Amino acid sequence: MAEHRPDRNEDRHEFSEEQASLFRITFGPLIWALHFLACYGLVAVACAKGADIAMVRILLLLGSVVALGGIGWVGYGAFRQWNVVETGDFVHRRGHAEDRHHFLGHAAFLLSIISAIGVIFVSLPLVMIGGCQ
Amino acid sequence: MTRSSGLPQPEGPYPPTEEMLAEPVPRDLQRDQAERLRRVWATPKGLRYVTAVNNSEVGKWYCLTALVFMLLAGVMALIIRLQLALPENDLVSADRFNQLFTMHGSAMMFLFAVPMFEAVSILLLPGMLGARDMPFPRLSAFGYWCFLIGGVFVIGSIFFDVAPRAGWFMYPPLATEDEGPGSDIWLLGLSFIEVASIAAAVELIVGTLKCRPPGMRINLMPLYAWYVLVVGGMILFAFPPLIAGDFLFELERSFDWPFFDPTRGGDPMLWQHLFWIFGHPEVYIIFLPSIAIAAMVIPTVARRPIYGYSWIVLSAVGTGFLSFGLWVHHMFTTGLPSISLGFFSAASEAVVIPTGIQIFAFLATLMVGRVKMTLPMLWISGALAIFTMGGLTGVMLALAPFDFQAHDTYFIVAHLHYTLFGGMVFPVIAGVYYFFPFIQKKLLSERLGKWSFWLTFSGFNLCFLPMHLTGLWGMPRRVYTYPSGLGWDWLNLISTVGAFVIAAGFLLFVWDLIRPKHRQPQIPRNPWEAGTLEWSHDIPEEAWGVRSIPHVTSRYPLWDQPEMVARIDAGRYYLPDAEEGRRETLITSVIDAEPVQVQRVTGPTWITLWAAAFTGGAFIFPTFHWYPPAIVCAVLAIGCIIGWLWTSTARPPEADSKDVGLGLRLPTYAAGPASVGWWAMWITMLGDATAFASLVFGFFFYWTASADFPPDGAAHPLALLTLLASLGFVLSWALTIGARRLNRSGRRGAARGCLVLAPLAAAGAATALVASVLHLDPTSHVYPAILWALAIWIAVHAGAGILMQLYCLAGSVFGKLTPRHDADIWNVSLFWHFVTIAALVTCAVLGLMPGAL
Amino acid sequence: MLAGAVVLWLFVNGAFYFMSRIRPGRFDQTYAPHILIGGGIILPVVILSALLVWGLGILTDPRRPGDGLVVRVTGEQWWWRVEYWPEGATEPIISANEIRLPAGQRAEIHLTSDKVIHSFWIPALGGKMDMFPGRDTMISLAPEKVGTYRGQCAEFCGASHAWMAFSAVVMEPEAFDSWLEAEAEDAVEPAGDAALRGRQVFLSEGCGACHAVRGTEAVGQVGPDLTHVGSRQTLGAGRMALTLEDLTTWISHSEALKPEVKMPAYDLAPDRLDDLARYLEGLK
Repeated sequence: MAEHRPDRNEDRHEFSEEQASLFRITFGPLIWALHFLACYGLVAVACAKGADIAMVRILLLLGSVVALGGIGWVGYGAFRQWNVVETGDFVHRRGHAEDRHHFLGHAAFLLSIISAIGVIFVSLPLVMIGGCQ
Repeated sequence: MTRSSGLPQPEGPYPPTEEMLAEPVPRDLQRDQAERLRRVWATPKGLRYVTAVNNSEVGKWYCLTALVFMLLAGVMALIIRLQLALPENDLVSADRFNQLFTMHGSAMMFLFAVPMFEAVSILLLPGMLGARDMPFPRLSAFGYWCFLIGGVFVIGSIFFDVAPRAGWFMYPPLATEDEGPGSDIWLLGLSFIEVASIAAAVELIVGTLKCRPPGMRINLMPLYAWYVLVVGGMILFAFPPLIAGDFLFELERSFDWPFFDPTRGGDPMLWQHLFWIFGHPEVYIIFLPSIAIAAMVIPTVARRPIYGYSWIVLSAVGTGFLSFGLWVHHMFTTGLPSISLGFFSAASEAVVIPTGIQIFAFLATLMVGRVKMTLPMLWISGALAIFTMGGLTGVMLALAPFDFQAHDTYFIVAHLHYTLFGGMVFPVIAGVYYFFPFIQKKLLSERLGKWSFWLTFSGFNLCFLPMHLTGLWGMPRRVYTYPSGLGWDWLNLISTVGAFVIAAGFLLFVWDLIRPKHRQPQIPRNPWEAGTLEWSHDIPEEAWGVRSIPHVTSRYPLWDQPEMVARIDAGRYYLPDAEEGRRETLITSVIDAEPVQVQRVTGPTWITLWAAAFTGGAFIFPTFHWYPPAIVCAVLAIGCIIGWLWTSTARPPEADSKDVGLGLRLPTYAAGPASVGWWAMWITMLGDATAFASLVFGFFFYWTASADFPPDGAAHPLALLTLLASLGFVLSWALTIGARRLNRSGRRGAARGCLVLAPLAAAGAATALVASVLHLDPTSHVYPAILWALAIWIAVHAGAGILMQLYCLAGSVFGKLTPRHDADIWNVSLFWHFVTIAALVTCAVLGLMPGAL
Repeated sequence: MLAGAVVLWLFVNGAFYFMSRIRPGRFDQTYAPHILIGGGIILPVVILSALLVWGLGILTDPRRPGDGLVVRVTGEQWWWRVEYWPEGATEPIISANEIRLPAGQRAEIHLTSDKVIHSFWIPALGGKMDMFPGRDTMISLAPEKVGTYRGQCAEFCGASHAWMAFSAVVMEPEAFDSWLEAEAEDAVEPAGDAALRGRQVFLSEGCGACHAVRGTEAVGQVGPDLTHVGSRQTLGAGRMALTLEDLTTWISHSEALKPEVKMPAYDLAPDRLDDLARYLEGLK
């Protein structure tokens, strides 16, 4: 590895380089959280104010599809970044920049799987439970 | 972009090459350096010992105090069990019993479980990260003293028979209408401790992000550090809703503002929401750090790196997020719409998946390693056996129909103790056995440890396993006694016997911990042959943390970098010296841990003690409605904190940069995003914003929950004044930012002018905001009350903001704040970003909502 | 569900025991991913999905609409105010501390509270539902088997939370209808001299300020309605049995038996106490 001088603005450089992948770790769960909040909030307001709950359910199920799409997109990007097909690296235990890069991809990929399961679970009540009872 | 301050950049080679590291350090130099370091980091002796701020001392006090509170709460549990041993027993009165179970729960949660995480982390984290100390040692000391004062106050109330008695969840109206100071003691005492917890969380997050050793990229962090990061983040979002809830609650208790009084539009459900938005993540805040201890012990036992590092990171982050979607499963029986219950039921099931992954990753590690059973591992195995049981009952309880039956029965008591003993108590004890050689440089007894384990383990199951049945047979929680003949008698008797067996196990453990160990020979340096940095510690003990800060290139440096310990000892690495006689540690970049700065850290002082004592007074006196002394204390506390900041933070250093070893020169001062203070402010304000968001949630909650919000014909805030207030806040914000820019470009006079005008604008804005609601009567209905609460919240923040602006003004006048050294005004600008946003939201709610709703 | 939990517990802990004790040596690395993906993701997703679908399917059962009878229960500290609203009723039939339901029908229980939160629960008949001041909640119960069951408050509600219970009596529908008719009547005339004297004691001691006995001048609303107290199964909201002996104990020691209860303990002469108990016991 070439020697290089640390820079006091290191954070800024790293961020511009790794910003996407650091935030990508939280993108999956964040989409889950937004979807969850939308479900809870809309249903609570709809039930309290007597809005058309069937309409709200359809709307939210559409939201679930969008959320799953978003998570899939994040997961795909993370998978590409992990680049396991080429490197075969599941462990990322060395101290090089590419290890860190692949690791962040790997973690984000796994998190998007969990988030997708979360969104599907949270959508089940929308399918199975009818009214506000 | 802002102009550069002209401070120097890091200079010199990085990363160090093998030749540089192989070069020996002259013996004389080593000895002199060690001598200087020893002098600088010396722990104060005698009475002045309490002025220590070093993480190794504060961490120890913290742990011991939490342990004492835990033992006290344990004794309360024993009295509870004795009372319930027989039907219609009259060992204690109903009132005393209610105080006991309320305090047992509150103390275990607020005085033991959460502080224990902070305590252990403060103690261990710098060691794991090869740092000299935490980034803000005085803040940890301040947090500790607050915790001690608040804890003694809260737990002491039980000896005077005035303890809170409405349950640890303090549901209104029972708690709001309770006579006597019990509820106030709970609210104010614990709010005080919550603030200390948030302070610790801020420090731990910054420590993990900015104080790692050079080279320890984010993928090399010890798993413990990952968990600290996640848990710190969770505290920031989980505690503030409770603080907001406490704020409303105390306003109702003290001034009769009807937030939870249904006769005046209030709603007790709001408290339940706020409490459990805190309460459920809190369970994971307790559980994750303990599982992190397991993640440190298991690789050592398996003698190989953890299998599935990324999986465990996923599990920690995933659990952190999902745990915020569970809170309503404590409220399944409150009559919310079924479909809402369904969401929370689903999320409660989903959170099982990351938790399971974590356990299977441990299993896989053990599988591929060569396991060498040790005492800590025995406790971890016990933890696992108990925790999986609690997890499985948790899966059942997450199903709402099952919960309808089991809710508020002894089944829940069994479940929560299985998760907390398995998820916290056992792993923490495992951690004590594992880390004791690191903390005290002594070993604990293998024989006593085994005895203690088997007593605690069998006692635990004897006590809590029957409770599943007791609950399913219909025994509700929190009853001070029960009639005979319902089939509960013998089950309760067995549980009581079990409780005393647990107590015997604990007694042995505590004895092992405190028995004199002078005659024990010097222990080996790395007794478990572990691979992480903390085991490079010095034997016999040195207070400097680490002799020199190593360059790390692996997850288990002691296994993978065999030369490392010798080089650390020789002072071959970074910061091997303390030439200026000041305490210092290395600041590195967030993702890749490249060294960017040398940070001066603070040393022993009395000021933190004073600040904590006065803060304590400010919180404790209102419990008895003694407002004048409370106000005096608050003023003195603020004075102490300002004095402490003024004298020891962000002072311009004598030289702009210094040699840190291996040819590297680093700057000694940083401002803005490069400085730890800025990060701390950012993180604190995130928590603050969460509390504010909880208040706004309250406003909209009332609107959703009740048809008469706002009530017909209610008076509304004066829109013109709210408009004026919002303009004033924006002006004050702009002046602050302007002052920062003018100061950096060297126009100090203009900057000072801005800093004179900014507080005036802020004061005017706050006055206008309060004036806009002044004609509303907050005791009449919840609508004016919540508007008042929002206005007060913003006014108080504006007050703090004004103090900060004046602090910067004084800094500029007296040469603490210069164009080159402007960290203070960066932090203050950041504060004002947040406050201005909150103020604008408030003005919008006050000024626009009456028309919109 | 329980059996499944036991099996899973044995599986996970058995695996741990096996790895750490029985075969501590190194296993082949290739198995590890299977454990993580199989045990950590696939297995839980399958089990949890099945459980969740089942759980959501029966989630709304306790909120199904009833067949006509509505019982309104108000939680007080620490007793139960009960109103029966048969289908089409314009005014309620008032009772307290006991709930009677017809077997084979689904009854709606509407719940509220006067001051603090309580929770309505008859373990043998169904789940619980909280009772809030200023808010109505509902649970519907469809008991099948005739019998007497114990019900109790499940949300902590203050000093005597432990003694806030009631009996739930499930009757044959015809028997229920005739009981309800009788419950709607005024109190019966005291039978015998002792009971007559007892009514005098009841009125002169001011019991009527808090308790109502329909058909007399006692119309208090603070405490439980006593019009048909003698026909109930328990006394003091499930505190004790309804016998002469327990009645005298209760009246003279109410505060010791039920901490912080509003009803003061009455220090009456033994014969007056006995008369009072006989009167109350006779209010069938």
